[in-house]
Amino acid sequence: MDQERKSMTREEFLLQMDEILGLRPGTLKGHEKLEDLKNWDSTALISLIVMAEDNNSVPIAPDQVVGCSTVADLLRLAQVDGSAS
Amino acid sequence: MASETNTLQSGVSKALRLPTSAADLMRQRQSLKTELLKQTNLIPARIAILGGSTTTEVKGMLELFLLAQGIQPSFYESGYNRYSEDVLFGNPDLWNFKPDVVFVHTTWRNVSHFPELMQSEAEVEEAVRNEMARFEAFWEKIHAELGSVIIQNNFDLPHLRPLGNLEASQSFSRVNFLQRLNTEFAKYARSHSRFLINDIHYLCAQVGLNAWYGRTYWYSFHMALSPAATVPLAQNVAAIVKSVYGKSKKCLVLDLDNTLWGGVIGDDGVQNLILGSDHPVGEAFLDFQRYVKDLQRRGVILAVCSKNDIENAKEGFSHPDSILKLEDFSAFKATWNPKPDSMREIAAELNIGLDSLVFVDDNPAERALVADQLPEVAVPEVGTDVSRFAEVLEHGHYFEVDKIVQDDLNRSAYYNSNAQRSSYQSGFRDYGEFLASLEMTAEIGPFSPVYLERITQLINKTNQFNLTTKRYTSAEVESISRDPGFITLYGRLADRFGDNGLVSVLIGRVSNDSVELDLWLMSCRVLNREMEFAMFDALVEQCQARGIRKIVGVYIPSKKNNMVAAHYAGLDFTGLSETSGDRQVWQYDIPQTYSMRTRFIRRAAQTVPTVAND
Repeated sequence: MDQERKSMTREEFLLQMDEILGLRPGTLKGHEKLEDLKNWDSTALISLIVMAEDNNSVPIAPDQVVGCSTVADLLRLAQVDGSAS
Repeated sequence: MASETNTLQSGVSKALRLPTSAADLMRQRQSLKTELLKQTNLIPARIAILGGSTTTEVKGMLELFLLAQGIQPSFYESGYNRYSEDVLFGNPDLWNFKPDVVFVHTTWRNVSHFPELMQSEAEVEEAVRNEMARFEAFWEKIHAELGSVIIQNNFDLPHLRPLGNLEASQSFSRVNFLQRLNTEFAKYARSHSRFLINDIHYLCAQVGLNAWYGRTYWYSFHMALSPAATVPLAQNVAAIVKSVYGKSKKCLVLDLDNTLWGGVIGDDGVQNLILGSDHPVGEAFLDFQRYVKDLQRRGVILAVCSKNDIENAKEGFSHPDSILKLEDFSAFKATWNPKPDSMREIAAELNIGLDSLVFVDDNPAERALVADQLPEVAVPEVGTDVSRFAEVLEHGHYFEVDKIVQDDLNRSAYYNSNAQRSSYQSGFRDYGEFLASLEMTAEIGPFSPVYLERITQLINKTNQFNLTTKRYTSAEVESISRDPGFITLYGRLADRFGDNGLVSVLIGRVSNDSVELDLWLMSCRVLNREMEFAMFDALVEQCQARGIRKIVGVYIPSKKNNMVAAHYAGLDFTGLSETSGDRQVWQYDIPQTYSMRTRFIRRAAQTVPTVAND
């Protein structure tokens, strides 16, 4: 079943991140530093993990997120839109 | 503007209805919160969450579900697993916060000592007593020093069973131990009115243990529950808080065809309705009727709103298998008018607000119409499959109550008697003649211990005939009842059709030779019966006995209490200059010779003991 799940595109991922952080759709571009984002906190982090579980075939582990410093790092972690390192 | 508000409310409530994806809710949390905060007349509530695990997610979800109920919470959150220390060592931040409600979010992981393997029955019993003593000391301190309502999780089931199926039978097993503790928690709740159980023992079964826990979330964040389980948990707690604030629904309004029975009564006739255990769908309708009947028995008012000829509609209840009978319904609207019109008539007939109604109809077009035209009415998306109706209603927690008192069980009878009164009234030439014929008797007196629960319940749920809409906790009501600085009055009203129960409450604050009325309310079930005159006469009597010469009445307008805007003017009070739009102040100087206002109500002696003043 998991293999049939379609991963999110980069645009979908960024739009959902916008929503989690309470930003206007289209705000995040990918280069932003997480520490500069107003609502980036433990609640947003958990929401991100749940979002990835719900939408993406690639699960995100909390300790991996803690090691991210930019939105681009998150995109790579979730292997969105061929961003896998 | 009104339609924008309707769209907003409808969209928001739809997003918050279970079953809801935790991912969707978490993703939309910020925007939902922003929309919900646009509501007017939110009731503020101070809620302390004392957690045996990380509670950030619980707080976030609880905030959304409370806002959706019209309650705006502010939160205190204990540190991780500091629930007990914060109370027992008196954390000043918690004390300064002065919570109205303390929610204790503990789970089986917070049991301090489970029994050892092979311990005897007596040793296990002692372990139960020790654990209970620890919790009771904690609860007693909250009650004594914070005076808050306590909402306490009982215990969920552990997801691992080291003893296998023996967990279910051995007295020293963890499962058995937790079940015993749950029984003790329940006993405590039965004997403490301000202590309510959040039944996570049920919730974990409903969600399923595999979904209830989330390994990742426990090991990374020490969240006792998965985010998915946090949603029903928060909804359950919000429902309890809602009941504490008297915001639960009162009346279930039901469609008939394909809602209470299969088929169309007008076309098929009663003999061809699908209802009964000899047919799979008929059995599902029977079960739904059984559930509705259970709600009615515990105090939910029932009404019919159907597009039908009335005689056909009524005939459906003569079906031999029908569990519901005509007399179970306190209002019955079977017409061809638009359903929103009938819903308004039902609310008016029962003297309750539209926001007290829940509407169940299998027809999505009718549901959409009522939801659109009457956004105050709760319209659960029950679908068309009758086997799911009860489940959807349950998930909505519409009729959650924090206690059941005798008046609840008699509620249908009161409203049915009202219907008889209305019909009886039509035979009189004038209204006075009708009132005289009712042979009304009122019992009015200072608060009595036996009525304190009912008085608190009435205070926290009466919105229309309520001059100030002030809310009081049970502890405050009890304290006021003992304070000689207050005049308190309750009123019961009976008539030839039955006993209406305790229907009116008044609290006045005494200062020298005057009394200011902090609260005056009356149940709408006795509107236009001159009960307010009887209460006023009793108040004047009390004032005269205490040498009080001046009565100050306060009217604080709300969205719902316009019906009493002229109340004090009608009692010959004079408006004072300190009156403003938000707070209108009136004064009545008690004359040397006071003429009783009551014309049709005979006063009966108080039959219950009053509260002794300190």
